[in-house]
Amino acid sequence: MHISTRFRSVFASLFRKAELDRDLDEELRSYLDLLTEEKIRAGMAPEAARRAARLELGGVEQVKEKVRENRLGAAIDTLLQDIRYALRILRKNASFSIVSVLILAIGIGANTALFSNIQAVLLRPIPFAEPDRLVVGQKTIDGRRSGTVSRIDYFDYRELGQSFEELAALANFTQEFTVMGGGRPELVEASYVTWNLFPALRVRPVSGRNFLPEEEAQDGLQIVLVSYGLWERRFGGSPDAIGNTIDIEGSPYTVVGVMPRGFRFLFDADIWFLVDRFGPFDGERDSHSHLLVGRLKPGVAIEEAQSEADAISIGLAQQYPDSNTGKGLLLTGLHSHMVRDVRLSLLLLMATTALVLLIACGNVAGLLLARGERRQSEMAMRSALGASRHRLMRQLLTESVILTVVAGLLGVVIAYMLQDVLLRLLSIEELGVGRPLIDAKALVFTLVLSILTGLLVGVIPALRGAATQPAQQLGSATRASPSLRSTRLRSGLVVLQVAVSVALLIGSGLLIRSFAQLTTVDLGFEPENLLTGRLKIPAAAYPTREERAEFFTSLLDEIEALPGVTSAGLVSRLPILSPAQDWGVWPAEEPEPTLQESFSPMVRWVSPGYFRTIGIPLQSGRDISRSDLANSPFVAVLSETTARTVFGDADPMGRLVHIGWSDREFEVVGVVADARLNSLRRGPDAAAYMSSAQLGATRLQLAVRTSGEPTLQAGAIESLLRRKDPDVLLSRPASMELALDDQLGDFRIVIVSLALFACVAMLLTAIGLYGLLTYQVSQRGNEFGIRLAMGASNAALLGMVLKMGLVLVGIGLFFGLLFAYPSTLLMRRMLFETPPLHPATYAGAIGFLGLMAALACLLPAWRVTRVDLVEVLRSE
Amino acid sequence: MAGDRAELLRGTLDMLILKTLSLEPLHGLGISRRIEQITDRVFRVQPGSLFPALHRLEQEGWIRGRWGESENRRRAKFYELTAAGRRRLGEEKRNWTQVVLAITKIMEAT
Repeated sequence: MHISTRFRSVFASLFRKAELDRDLDEELRSYLDLLTEEKIRAGMAPEAARRAARLELGGVEQVKEKVRENRLGAAIDTLLQDIRYALRILRKNASFSIVSVLILAIGIGANTALFSNIQAVLLRPIPFAEPDRLVVGQKTIDGRRSGTVSRIDYFDYRELGQSFEELAALANFTQEFTVMGGGRPELVEASYVTWNLFPALRVRPVSGRNFLPEEEAQDGLQIVLVSYGLWERRFGGSPDAIGNTIDIEGSPYTVVGVMPRGFRFLFDADIWFLVDRFGPFDGERDSHSHLLVGRLKPGVAIEEAQSEADAISIGLAQQYPDSNTGKGLLLTGLHSHMVRDVRLSLLLLMATTALVLLIACGNVAGLLLARGERRQSEMAMRSALGASRHRLMRQLLTESVILTVVAGLLGVVIAYMLQDVLLRLLSIEELGVGRPLIDAKALVFTLVLSILTGLLVGVIPALRGAATQPAQQLGSATRASPSLRSTRLRSGLVVLQVAVSVALLIGSGLLIRSFAQLTTVDLGFEPENLLTGRLKIPAAAYPTREERAEFFTSLLDEIEALPGVTSAGLVSRLPILSPAQDWGVWPAEEPEPTLQESFSPMVRWVSPGYFRTIGIPLQSGRDISRSDLANSPFVAVLSETTARTVFGDADPMGRLVHIGWSDREFEVVGVVADARLNSLRRGPDAAAYMSSAQLGATRLQLAVRTSGEPTLQAGAIESLLRRKDPDVLLSRPASMELALDDQLGDFRIVIVSLALFACVAMLLTAIGLYGLLTYQVSQRGNEFGIRLAMGASNAALLGMVLKMGLVLVGIGLFFGLLFAYPSTLLMRRMLFETPPLHPATYAGAIGFLGLMAALACLLPAWRVTRVDLVEVLRSE
Repeated sequence: MAGDRAELLRGTLDMLILKTLSLEPLHGLGISRRIEQITDRVFRVQPGSLFPALHRLEQEGWIRGRWGESENRRRAKFYELTAAGRRRLGEEKRNWTQVVLAITKIMEAT
């Protein structure tokens, strides 16, 4: 059939309904006339003939209804009718409608808010062409992921691999540099990339050009790509910038191109340096600091690329057994690499909100069932008047879908508010995504969710409601007796709700305990009243190690002289805020161990007084001192675990160790306690500390212990620096405590939301339980009246109702516990020093829910005892 | 109308109507009488099935209804086969023949 015909008939049945109905009426009348005439001709009396004809025709209305249903386009027609009718019914039951809409709106709103977050973080494609073909390569040791790749290994993978259109690399960190000249000096972050990184991402400079392949092999080339922002700040956005130079710590670098506005890849950076082929940095196969980024050739699957990389790894291990034995390369999709930290949290939240919605659905389905009981005679009447069972069901489903769509609209408003609250409470920007928006996709999601919810909520009540027996219903008394099946269905819903709620409570309880453990964990240092920041002196202005040491030493003296400052120290990487950097440490008299056997603690270089300032206790020996200078023997302070691992029970003091790849030997002069350097979650880290003065560091992080609010000292230190050397800037001044708080930000999102949702779930469950019991009590009013009349005590009745409710709660709790254990295993990764089967949490959740449930049962039970005996018996 | 017979009719009613109308235009009652007559009263088409079927066929574009006068000068809606309906009837006939042949084979197999 042609589309045009179909369209015409849909159109006709919508807008020419009256005309078509008239036509059908007339046709049926003529049929009746013809039939009557036929019978008269056969010899019947006119009156009898007409009666016989009517009988033969059957129910005119039913015939008409069938024809209407058969009409194409009738679907839309009846839908409109259903909607009109449903709206009338819902308006008539305003309180029912409002309660249902509110319950569902909370559920739908929470889901929409979470969906827009998930969309922003997990579903939105990364902003590069054909992102599915982009992969990230990381090193593995004996098959376990262990981070960054050696630059030298990278060149081999690039040359031997056939799977990639481009295989690029970038350093897995950024470095701060001072841009000088032309007015104010400025600290910027620099990222190191190979020439083909931007071609692999399909990103072109908006002005100038990319690095060239041949530039990779040219030693000492001083060229940079700059960010759009730096271009505007330093060159006023002028095209003359290309080919011009920019002063980076005293050395002129030629600007070859400007990256697009807002461009960012894994790190924020204003400057991109070219990773050159023969540079000294990361110049050994056992020195690892790069991340590989590749674009697969079209049609090449990541598995194929992986097996090729495996083959290359085996080849490298044979060729360079010292450095490459057991080493491999693991390829993962770029997108999943970027979202790996938040994926679990968001999915957990989404699952939670889905469960809350399910509980809300349970309540509304219960309400619909109860109402369906009271509407049985209406259904019977409509059925007798010619409505098919199918039609009745559709009618009931329309009602529930309208409810949920209205709830969905309200849910969007709730989602919007919820997001505002979430954003204010928690720091979702910390996750590296912009403010999640409730956009068209989220709205479509809400609409689909609303309709699905409507069908879910409505289908059981609709099936029940439409299955009426008109004769029985119309014949019986008008008061509906409680149907056993419907009650059983509602009880089942309550059991389900209790089960889901207790599982949610257990889950959030475990997370809350983990959070409490995390915030009170012993860090191994004192984060209170500690100001942190970063310092960088231009290497060109302070060419010797002596000059650098002198600058920093006098700076520390001046800072400590400030009022309100207790002490100050410098370190290459502050705990938690700057994780990573581990080097091998072994006794100087032994040969360098292989990669697998090596012991690699965190390495840091520090100023004298650092340990005192940060609060890491010295256990034996001495601190790095001011007399440990470039020309004196190099010294090291080991942490407890490092000392024990390297020297066993022997006394480490005075022993010599190798640290990292340098040939230098360090004399152990002291031992300090282990502290958490990498993360709050993992245990204390083993560490080895060297002297920053002896290494000639130019880039250090500052720790200042204050007697009051630490951030108040930042201004004083900055003006001190301006007087001392205007080219040295203090960047990112921050309070350690606040910075650690931020670290827990995303975890806090999960906890707060989960706890909130668990409470909503419990509340909804309590409402559902209360509703069911109240309904049952009201339906059994007579029975209770009679029992009272027969001499039952109030207490006995109270007990009866309580038992009714608590049995359901008990069954729900049982299933909830069965359900909770496997689900808590799924979130084990988020737990911290809390076993998934933590007994106190389980007991607490059960107790809390049980209490709420008992309260929900008590009210209807109490009402039973207030039954007016005379009233009940009179009404019978 | 017995349930079993209705089920039997439902699948084939469209075809029977098309076939009946292929001979000459008829009104509703005429169609059901003609079907009764031809099938020796095996099939009795009740209005409850007839009218929905007629309207469905009309909307499919296989038949066309027109108001006209009956043999006794009464106003009645006459249905006639369209070109599309004629093609449709051909298809239904072929399908039907295949089904009948197949079922016969099964039933006569020993």
